[in-house]
Amino acid sequence: MGVFIRIALRNLMQARLRSFFLTVALSLVTMLLVILLGLSQGLTETIVKNATTLASGHLNVAGFFKAKASDANPIVTHRAEVRKAVEESITGVDFIIDRARGWARVVSDVSSMNAGLTGVDAKEESRLFEILQLAKQSEYKEGGSDEVKGDARRLANKNTALIFAAQAKRLEVDVGDKLTVAVETMKGARNTAEFEIVGIARDIGIMSNWSVFTDKASLLELYRLDADVTGAIQIYLDDVDRAPKAMGELRLALEDKGYTVMEHDPRPFWAKFEGVSGEDWTGQRLDLTTWSDEVSFLLWIITAVDSISFVLVGILVVIIAVGIMNSMWMSVRERTPEVGTLRAIGMSRRRVLLMFMLEALILGLVATSLGGAAGAFIARSIDAAHVHVSVDAVRLILMSDTLHLSVGVQQVLTAVIAFTLISGLSALWPAYRASRLQPVTAIQHIG
Amino acid sequence: MRAMPAIVQLQGVHKDYPLGNLVVRALRGVDLTFDKGEFTTVAGPSGSGKTTLLNLVGCVDTATRGTVTVDGASTSALKESKLTELRLRKLGFIFQSFNLIGVLNLFQNVEFPLLLQGGLTKGERESRVRDIVDKVGLTEQMKQRPNELSGGQRQRVAIARALVTRPSIVLADEPTANLDSGTGNAIIDLMKHLNETEHTTFIFSTHDSRVMSRASRIVQLVDGKVVDDGHGHRTGAAAVAPLAEA
Ligand SMILES: Nc1ncnc2c1ncn2[C@@H]1O[C@H](COP(=O)(O)OP(=O)(O)O)[C@@H](O)[C@H]1O
Ligand SMILES: [Mg+2]
Repeated sequence: MGVFIRIALRNLMQARLRSFFLTVALSLVTMLLVILLGLSQGLTETIVKNATTLASGHLNVAGFFKAKASDANPIVTHRAEVRKAVEESITGVDFIIDRARGWARVVSDVSSMNAGLTGVDAKEESRLFEILQLAKQSEYKEGGSDEVKGDARRLANKNTALIFAAQAKRLEVDVGDKLTVAVETMKGARNTAEFEIVGIARDIGIMSNWSVFTDKASLLELYRLDADVTGAIQIYLDDVDRAPKAMGELRLALEDKGYTVMEHDPRPFWAKFEGVSGEDWTGQRLDLTTWSDEVSFLLWIITAVDSISFVLVGILVVIIAVGIMNSMWMSVRERTPEVGTLRAIGMSRRRVLLMFMLEALILGLVATSLGGAAGAFIARSIDAAHVHVSVDAVRLILMSDTLHLSVGVQQVLTAVIAFTLISGLSALWPAYRASRLQPVTAIQHIG
Repeated sequence: MRAMPAIVQLQGVHKDYPLGNLVVRALRGVDLTFDKGEFTTVAGPSGSGKTTLLNLVGCVDTATRGTVTVDGASTSALKESKLTELRLRKLGFIFQSFNLIGVLNLFQNVEFPLLLQGGLTKGERESRVRDIVDKVGLTEQMKQRPNELSGGQRQRVAIARALVTRPSIVLADEPTANLDSGTGNAIIDLMKHLNETEHTTFIFSTHDSRVMSRASRIVQLVDGKVVDDGHGHRTGAAAVAPLAEA
C-alpha cells in the first residue's frame, strides 16, 4: 500500500497546478459546508433552547378537557394526581414543572396585542429565571437608560406579568406599568384582570413575540379554574435526545394507570383545538408531546436553511466533482504508457483502478481536512464573536439576536467523509477506464 | 536435437489486426519452440511482426488463430486475470523506451514487481533488489530517479526490474533501439551474462544485424513468417543455417 500512496502523492505533485486548484476549491466548499452545518446545528440548538424555555419541556403531558363534545379546553384536571403519576412513571428526569396556558388580548394605555399566556409557579422556575435575560430600558424604550429594571422572580407575587422587549416597544410600556388582560373563559364568558409588569426580558427569537408569562394562580383565577388545574406538565430529561423514547414509555405507564392518552399528534397544542372540538367525547384526555412537536411549526426554518445549504453546496460539489473527473481523465491519458507498462509487468486491473482512485481519495482527504479545520475554526470564531444581527427578519429566522454556530466533531467528520468519498467516486469512471486499457495498446501509445 | 524442455511453444499462430476495412496480417502461421535457458533474438525488418510475436509470448495479446503455450498454459484459454498473474510470476519485460515509473526512484522501480507479487518481507525485498541492482552495476545510483539516469542506465534498471522476480522468460522488444551502438552492445552483453549466470530464458527482438549477431539463436521474420531459425555463432548472421518451414 505504501508504494501506491507514494505513487499517488508523486503524481499529484507532478500535476501540481491541477492538484492545487482542486485542493483549494474542495477545501473552500468543505469549509462552506462545515460553516453551514454549524449554522444549522446552531439554529437547532437555539430552537431547542427557546422552545424549552418558553413553551415546552423536553417532554410534555398536556391534554384537553371537554365538558361537552364541542369543547376543547387545553387543561389537565387533577393536576396533583397526574403529576404524581408522571413522576412515578418516568426515569432519567432532571426536573419537572407545570404551567398553565391561556390566550389573551393584552391591552396597554396606547396599544394592544394578542398573546399566549404562560402561568408559572415561581418556586419551580429557577431554570427560566436563569435563562431569561432582562432587557435594558434602552432596548425597548426610545431614549431609555441602560438600567435593567424589574426582577423576574417577582412573578411569585399575584397579578404579575413578564413580557418581552418587542412587546414592550409595541405596547409602549415599562416595568411597573399595568396591563389589562382579557380572556374568554371555558364557559364562554369574558373576564379581565390587571397585571403589573415585573420584568421585561430580551427577545428570544420569533416565539417571544407572542409569549407572556404571568403568575400561575392569577391566570387560573382569570379563567375561573380551580388551583388543581394546569396546562402542561413539562418534563426536562437528563438527555434531550431520549425524549421520543421516554414519551413512548410514559404513554404506556399512564395508560396502565387508567388515563386516556390521545393518539400522538406531532403538532403544538394550539394547532389541535379544531380537531379536538370536532371529536365526539367528553371528559379529560392527556396529550403527550416532545419539544420538537411543540415547535414543529418552526422546524421549517431549519429545513429551509438545510435545503439552501444542500443546493448551494451540492452545486459546488458537482462542479468540483466534474473538475476532479476531468483531472483524472487527463491523468489517465498522460499516463496511458505507464498504465500499459504496469499492466504488462503484472499489475491487476483492480490495482490500476485503486491506484487512480487512491489519487483522488488522497486529494479529497487532504483538501477536506484542511477545509474542515478551517471551517470549524471560522464557525467557532463567528460564534465566539457574538455577532449582533441587526436585521429583524434575519433575527426572526435565527431566533436570536446573535449569530449562533455550533460546530462539533460530527459536523466536520460528516463534511470530510462525504466529500472525500465524492472525490473518490468522481475518479471512478476514469479509473475504471484506465483499468480496462489493454496492456498492448497502452504500450504502443509510446509511439 | 533439443535436450532442454520447451518453455514457450507457438503452433500455427496467426495474428490479424483490423485496420479500418482492411485486415493486417501481422503473423501468418508461425511455429516456434523456445527452450529453457535459450538466448534468442527475433530479427527482421520493421513491420515484419517482431513486436506482435513478443506480445503474444508476453501474454499481453492473444493470437487470432493457432496456440501459444507459455510455461505449459495455452494463453487463449486464460482469463485476463490469469494472464496478468502469468505476466507477474513468469515473465519479465524490457521495453524499447525503458518504461520506468517516473515518480519512483531506481530502488522503488526495481522493487515494484515484488510488491505486486507480495509475499516477501521488506528485508527480503531489499536484499533481492540490492542483489540484482548490483549485477546490473547501478548500486551507486540506487536513490536516483529515472530522469537523472542516462539511457543505458535506464535500460539496466529495466533489466533489473524484469529480473528481480526471477522470471522464467524475459522478453525484450528492441531493447537497444533507443541506445547508441556501444551502449546497446553493453546491454546485450549484460543480458547474455545474466542468461548464462541466472539461466533465465531471453527472447529479444532487433532489426540491427550487429545486435542480432550476439544471440545464440536467431529467428528471422519476414512479413509475418519465420524464414530462418538457426543456432548462429558469434561470428554473425551469415552463419545462420536456413531452416525449412512448411
Ligand atoms: N494495433 C495494430 N493495428 C493494426 N496494425 C498493426 C497493429 N500493430 C501492428 N500492426 C501491423 O502489423 C504488422 C507487424 O507489426 P509489428 O509486429 O509491430 O512489427 P515490427 O515490430 O517487426 O516492426 C505491421 O504491418 C504493422 O503495421
Ligand atoms: Mg516493433
